[in-house]
Amino acid sequence: MFIKLASRNVKRQIGNYMIYFITVSLTVALMFAINNVIFSKKLQEYAAQMEMLRPGLIGITIFISLIVSFVLSYGTSFILKLRKREFGTYLTLGMTRKNILTIFVLETLILCIAALATGIVLGLFIYQGLMGLLTYLMEVEYVFADYSMEGMTFTIVMVTAVFLLSSVTSAIYLKRVSIYQLIHGDRMVEKRVKHPVFWMTLTLISLAGIVESCIAFYKVIEHLFLSDGNASEWPIMGCMVVLAVTVVTFHTGFARSVVNLMLKNRKLCCRGTNIFVLRQLSGKLSANSIMAGALAFLIAFAAIGANVSFSQKITEQAVLNKFYPFDISAILDAYEENPIGLEEAREIILRYAGIEKEIDFNIYTTGDNYLHGFTIWSGENFKRVKDSFIRESDINRLNAALGWEPIDLKGGFVIMSDIPQVMNMDFSSAELTLNGKTYSCTGKTDVMPLRAYFFFAAIVPDEAVEGLDIQTQCASFDLKDEKFDAHGLQSELSYSTNGNGFTFMRSDYKIKEYERLQRSSSTAIFIISTLYMAVVFVFMSMAILALKTLSGMSEDRRRYDVLFRLGAGEREQSKTLFLQIFSFFFLPFAIPLLLNIPAGITCSRIMELGGLMKQSGEILVTTVLITTVMAAIYLLYFGATYLIAKHNIVRTNI
Amino acid sequence: MKEVLQVKNVTKYYGNGSVVTRALNGISFKVHQGEFTAIMGASGSGKSTLLNVISTIDRASAGDIYLEGKNLAELKENQLSAFRRDKLGFIFQEYNLLDTLTVAENITLPLNLKKMDVETTNKELMRVSDALGITDQLSKFPYELSGGQRQRVACARAIITRPALVLADEPTGALDSQNSKQLMKTFVQMNESLGSTILMVTHDPVVGSYAKRVLFLKDGKIWSEIDNSGRDRQAMYREILSVMAALGGDTFVH
Repeated sequence: MFIKLASRNVKRQIGNYMIYFITVSLTVALMFAINNVIFSKKLQEYAAQMEMLRPGLIGITIFISLIVSFVLSYGTSFILKLRKREFGTYLTLGMTRKNILTIFVLETLILCIAALATGIVLGLFIYQGLMGLLTYLMEVEYVFADYSMEGMTFTIVMVTAVFLLSSVTSAIYLKRVSIYQLIHGDRMVEKRVKHPVFWMTLTLISLAGIVESCIAFYKVIEHLFLSDGNASEWPIMGCMVVLAVTVVTFHTGFARSVVNLMLKNRKLCCRGTNIFVLRQLSGKLSANSIMAGALAFLIAFAAIGANVSFSQKITEQAVLNKFYPFDISAILDAYEENPIGLEEAREIILRYAGIEKEIDFNIYTTGDNYLHGFTIWSGENFKRVKDSFIRESDINRLNAALGWEPIDLKGGFVIMSDIPQVMNMDFSSAELTLNGKTYSCTGKTDVMPLRAYFFFAAIVPDEAVEGLDIQTQCASFDLKDEKFDAHGLQSELSYSTNGNGFTFMRSDYKIKEYERLQRSSSTAIFIISTLYMAVVFVFMSMAILALKTLSGMSEDRRRYDVLFRLGAGEREQSKTLFLQIFSFFFLPFAIPLLLNIPAGITCSRIMELGGLMKQSGEILVTTVLITTVMAAIYLLYFGATYLIAKHNIVRTNI
Repeated sequence: MKEVLQVKNVTKYYGNGSVVTRALNGISFKVHQGEFTAIMGASGSGKSTLLNVISTIDRASAGDIYLEGKNLAELKENQLSAFRRDKLGFIFQEYNLLDTLTVAENITLPLNLKKMDVETTNKELMRVSDALGITDQLSKFPYELSGGQRQRVACARAIITRPALVLADEPTGALDSQNSKQLMKTFVQMNESLGSTILMVTHDPVVGSYAKRVLFLKDGKIWSEIDNSGRDRQAMYREILSVMAALGGDTFVH
């Protein structure tokens, strides 16, 4: 009997359940897609680190599932409240609370099964799209991705857990609520906001906190790049914590104070339906102030996460070109026995790809660390670090091979490094005496046409290194073939070694293509995970706002009916409803949307500091795109909610 | 005396095809300025339908309704809301006060809709709240008031725009007898001191006896009409009871 009643109820209540159904279906689809990504065998072939990243990704999906459970519990309670009169009637007719809970759980079970089926079907396509995006980001060829049984099982387990959690919430509500509350509703009363001055002060302090944490974050990042490099990561964490907390407190305070202040403006209140809108908002925002703060936090996370993940992709190739100027860089420690010598390596490389050019050169050392005394890498901890020297002609041969400008030493020596803070260190008083001749520092350059293991090196005239010890033997290769088996080549150029009781693989040959594939995979997985979280967060936030708006429809319908009778026409009612819903939707969205600006500027500055000027501009374009997409999705969802609400609430003349 | 409302051969059908109900059957009557008229009748006699078509919430199937000489049927869609706002005042059984607004905000809402300036709004608010004795309650929310007080607030809201006609739909339906009497005294005060023209639907003979004129509806038509013609309220009450008995008193169950 209960099943029959529940299925009839679902059919009858389809309008009310629609947003809930869409929310569950899309969430299941996203879960299914990401779980299949995590367990994809194809992806494991492409990305060796997938195995390593799997526990982290599973952690993310479980975390997301918890948020989904919370949201769906929230959604379920809305539906319960929407139908409390009906359940109250059941109780008065003699049904037990257990019977009602059985009916309601059966109803949500029917919906969840339907949503699971819809979500999985939708997920089949989203997964292929996601794999398409992943393979594009990883720069490997897309082939139809296989579905995994583990992914499917994991999704079903998660959905079951989410369903059980939301059922528990419903059970608690139905156990506690009285018949009177069910039939007459909670006594909806407008409560005066207590301590408005406190909430206003909190809002202003929080706003200052948001601005200050953004500025501080920017400065800490600059400091990390430019100063002594000893800066700890704690200030960054501190800024993020302050930002997270102030985003929440700002929205909590704003919801409880600003509308209240606006209500004191008689002129504003007297205009049309302003007083009605303000009072509607005052009640709704005060009651949901913490929710607004939490949603704002989630959306802010989505905005910043999307910015950071795309920044990483944009900079990937540039960073690679910067640190790997040649296709293969050999860096052989002259003081150690090299298991794979240059001669042998050359033969191995030739088996995989033709060599277009090869430039051999050495890095020399005086054996002391005089130049390091001008840097932060001096003192007891760095006494084993020795100064490094490179011949001017070697650098210019490398520069010429890359088509770069030759270096001009201006009769002295030039400090070369790819570490940004070196450019801020003062070598002006440094004087080198090599082979009886003294050279002073004539400049610094961050243009480094080689890959080596040092903080910095001094480029000196060729005669200055005569007689110095060779510290590192280097060779830079450019290959004829663009496509070759980089994984195979890297494997052949690696050897196992022991250290600290562990055996690990090591290579003295850095292969750009291998590194590119590795980075692409990591970046792709990072982007997908961040986007997944961002999409779920924005989506969940929108779902909560929509459910919250639509669950108050019966109350609103009654209020708008009074407005209609008092002479508010369809247009005026629509305008009023639009303002009411828009303000409610926009509050948790405005600040996170604006946070895209500092996020974009900071990412752009990081690029600049990393010497990636061109990419710095691209980041800003990406930020604008992310903002636009977020705003578009949000407006779309708002639009749908508004239209549903308008259809149900606004009363028109017959 | 100036004619405020003229209802002329109004008919209203509900439903379509084979299931058609005639709620009003060619009803005609007039209400003059300053009159306090009650409409009484059994359930299903057409009282509420009549009120709905007069208040432009529903359209008549046939016939004409004139308010201050203007034919309501000729009003366009966008004019109807403005007409209700400017010409009519409403008092409902369930008060229909907005629970989110304070008493003052509830009362002045119709003036806000008319985009009246703050000074005039305040002046009008003081006028009606003084007259109805609710000045002390202005900053309260509806849930802080008793049923009788809420209905007085609803009265204040109905008359603040100085409407041509105040329509009251079972205004005492949610009140006890003591509060009902109090509210009817307020109606009489609104009618006599503030000059409001009132058209009230009720099924309660005690409430009806406060009106100067009572129209009895049966099967969508005016079946009988009485007025107090200088008689006291008790006499009016007795006459109402006798008409109701003739009409079929047992059907006067709401």
